[in-house]
Amino acid sequence: MRADAEDAVQEACGRAWLGLDELRETAKVRAWLYRILRSVLSEGEERSARRRQLVSITRLEEAHDELVASDGDIVFEEVAARLTGEEVRAALQQLPDDFATVVELHDIDGFKYHEIAEIVGVPIGTVMSRISRGRRLLAGAVLAARSATTKEPSAQERRSARWGGSGTTGGGIR
Amino acid sequence: MTDWTPLAPGSTEDPAERAARESQHQVLIDLLGAYADRELPPETTSQIDAHLIGCVRCRRELAVHHAMRRRLGVEPPIAAPPALRERIAAAIASTPVPVSPPITRVSLLRRPLVLAALAMTVAVAGVGSTVLVRHGAETAALAPLSTSPSTVPLLRDVLADYRRVVAADLPGRARDLDAVRSAVPFPIEPLGGTAVRLLAAWTTDLGGEPAVVLAYRWDDRIVLQYVVSEQRFFQHPALRQAVADGRLLAAHDGAQGIIAWPTASAGTLLIADLPPERLRVIGSEALLAGKAARSAP
Repeated sequence: MRADAEDAVQEACGRAWLGLDELRETAKVRAWLYRILRSVLSEGEERSARRRQLVSITRLEEAHDELVASDGDIVFEEVAARLTGEEVRAALQQLPDDFATVVELHDIDGFKYHEIAEIVGVPIGTVMSRISRGRRLLAGAVLAARSATTKEPSAQERRSARWGGSGTTGGGIR
Repeated sequence: MTDWTPLAPGSTEDPAERAARESQHQVLIDLLGAYADRELPPETTSQIDAHLIGCVRCRRELAVHHAMRRRLGVEPPIAAPPALRERIAAAIASTPVPVSPPITRVSLLRRPLVLAALAMTVAVAGVGSTVLVRHGAETAALAPLSTSPSTVPLLRDVLADYRRVVAADLPGRARDLDAVRSAVPFPIEPLGGTAVRLLAAWTTDLGGEPAVVLAYRWDDRIVLQYVVSEQRFFQHPALRQAVADGRLLAAHDGAQGIIAWPTASAGTLLIADLPPERLRVIGSEALLAGKAARSAP
């Protein structure tokens, strides 16, 4: 994966070099480069999309809903603060690209919403809703991973056990 | 995401109010991220302030946003390895000036954006300097500064230092180059080519930041090369603009001419009692020599 990332950066730098005339405002150079990088990445994804693993976002939403709906004993802030880098990346990997990308661009890369709108090519309202939903899903992914390692049954698993179901609800995307 | 907590247990809200509140909740919940990030207009912010008072669920959700953002915000950057930077510089340097962009497709797995984006930031400067290598060597276009050099702190400092230095004996010797190299945190690329001869090297202070000065003889002139950190070099928009345009920044003040371009992780300024157009000849040769050295096996 790292090699792919490096290839993408090299490709994006090459395209930036060829298209330098398109850069009108130097203050926007970072966002401009990210936009090029994203188009490189999306071309790669178009071809590899079929190989991609389907992610059940229903499960992530349920884990998150359970957290905010109850008084619960989980102090999420402490859970989040203790996450290792590996756990953060694993959680981000669980998210659909549309959501993970905007959260990464904002929270990790430090872009403002209007810059993200430009990089991703969506209206700012879409950036807002994707960041809101993206962080919800991310919290869900963190909690789902946590309950998987501590062997605590998730809400879905408890329900499935009660109903005698297989534990695979729908919600697969892409 | 369909339930919400009423103002107080047993409150006597009628069904219509409850429905209106529920629909407001559904709209506002998708704005909570932007609320946490202070990206909303004041009117919407006040609306959410009011909603949060009565909605414990949204308050918990807001806490999740803050916690998640705080954790991601301290995720340390993944450094781009030096090999990647070199690979990019080499690939760009060896690409011919395109008629139509020759784009190689790369095979990519799922969303390596985090890795790639971080590496991208580090690679940016490499692109800038490589662009200059191309332009400098083949067209050597100058971007004349539209204002007086005294309005650009770096140029002002270089001019003042140059005038101070040339009024006396040079403060260093050529053999000091290695010592000078190890004294600063950025790489030094001396001018290449046969037309210039290194006379002396020393470190100095430019506006409170370290700089290296290399003195050369070119024909019957003394030319000074100031090398500063990348950060210092790109501080002023005039230099960033020149780099973005793929040009050498050119300025003159009285008898002195200056040209400037970025190098790997640093910036170079040439100054002499010569017009910038003459300095460009030396600069182009240096850039060509640098390119040849980089593409050598």
